[in-house]
Amino acid sequence: MRTVKVIFTVNKEKITVQAKPYETLLETLRERLSLTGAKESCGLGACGACTVILGGIPVRSCLVLTAEVEGMEVKTIEGLEKEGKLHPLQKAFMEKGAVQCGFCTPGMIMTAKGLLDRNKKPEKHEIIRAISSNVCRCTGYKKIVEAIEEATE
Amino acid sequence: MILPKLAYKKAKDLEDAIHLFRKYDENSFYLAGGTDLVPQLKLRLHKPMALIDLKGVADLKGIDVQESWLSIGANTTLFELKDDPVVKEHFPALFQSLDATSCETLQMRGTIGGNILQNTRCLFYNKSLEWRKAKGQCFKTDGEICNAVQNSEMCFANYCSDNVPPLLTLSAEVILNGFGGERKINLSEIFSRDSKKPFRIMPGEILTRILIPLKKSKGAFEKIRVRGSIDYPLVNAAVSVENGKGKLSIGGVGPVPFVYNLDNLDTYAVEELADRVYSDSRPVANTTLSASYRKRMSKVLTKRIVANVLQEVQL
Repeated sequence: MRTVKVIFTVNKEKITVQAKPYETLLETLRERLSLTGAKESCGLGACGACTVILGGIPVRSCLVLTAEVEGMEVKTIEGLEKEGKLHPLQKAFMEKGAVQCGFCTPGMIMTAKGLLDRNKKPEKHEIIRAISSNVCRCTGYKKIVEAIEEATE
Repeated sequence: MILPKLAYKKAKDLEDAIHLFRKYDENSFYLAGGTDLVPQLKLRLHKPMALIDLKGVADLKGIDVQESWLSIGANTTLFELKDDPVVKEHFPALFQSLDATSCETLQMRGTIGGNILQNTRCLFYNKSLEWRKAKGQCFKTDGEICNAVQNSEMCFANYCSDNVPPLLTLSAEVILNGFGGERKINLSEIFSRDSKKPFRIMPGEILTRILIPLKKSKGAFEKIRVRGSIDYPLVNAAVSVENGKGKLSIGGVGPVPFVYNLDNLDTYAVEELADRVYSDSRPVANTTLSASYRKRMSKVLTKRIVANVLQEVQL
């Protein structure tokens, strides 16, 4: 089947790929661009481990076709640090120990980033609500919520 | 999980979308948010030749007040709709149902048109191809058995939209556009009442807009689910009351939500209504909790939601 040419931005860098028309954004990020921060867990949109920010909103990259993101801006966990300095969310996750096995963490941080981008000072219940989009099977939500609270301060 | 081989086309406008549908021998799917469709494709539940992306179609966008109607573009995401001041102010049952749908991230991608036209679900249908082959193909996958109910002659998959029960209580209408041109029908008329093929719309037809009579209502939405987030309803209920007249809708059980008129609700009438809902609702063992629990909960939800709304309004 014919590939499609897709031009989009990943972490402020312009990217051109020849993608399969049925290729997901997650596959492109991980397999063509070696951005393995976003993880595949359920592959069906239920868990949120593959969350990236697309056009300013958090999305499940396993449910988005690469062909759909033509001309759009994608931000992944790899694009959060600035000049070697970690993003406040990344720092807070480390300091608060909001990581157990770590598999859900990139998705959690990108969902939290999506929340902070639209609401600079979210209340605790708003943080819990946003983060309930993502599944952590180690069930360590308490520290994740604390880390996001710290990152807002 | 890998998608099956298919082509991707982005439609410029409605005419282009319908033309593309024809080009692929009417064997393609329209794509909006993809939150319901993409997982089904990954599970090989359908084999389309192409996906026709509708996200660029201007006619499907925007929320406008048109005379005495609120006209909602089918591509409006659930999150955008939840954020609309008119929806919050006029249609509390719909607002609460949007808030209770899945999770915030999926609300930001999933559209109201897609939520209405979501496929029916079953514990024995939403599974991988290998799983279904091992179990035996059921009515919904063109087999000749039902894996949920032995010796059944029909499919029992559940229609799990959270937003349709409130829209039915608000007497919503929908606009469809296809080969035969545009038509406007009541939302309740799109349902076939058959779980195997839940909608009665023509091949290639596109749901373009949802119209709700612009009258201020009081109402509520309730949903029973296992988890507080990212979960389908085991049974749900919506009530809207406007100008002394109310409607109750019960969803999540069977191919279409039930609708009941509410008037003069004294304690006796509420009890009678709850009994009617209990006898009408016939869940089977095809989702996470037992059929008998869901049946009992349809009655409990009815009483709870009616009591909740009666605190605010008199019928």
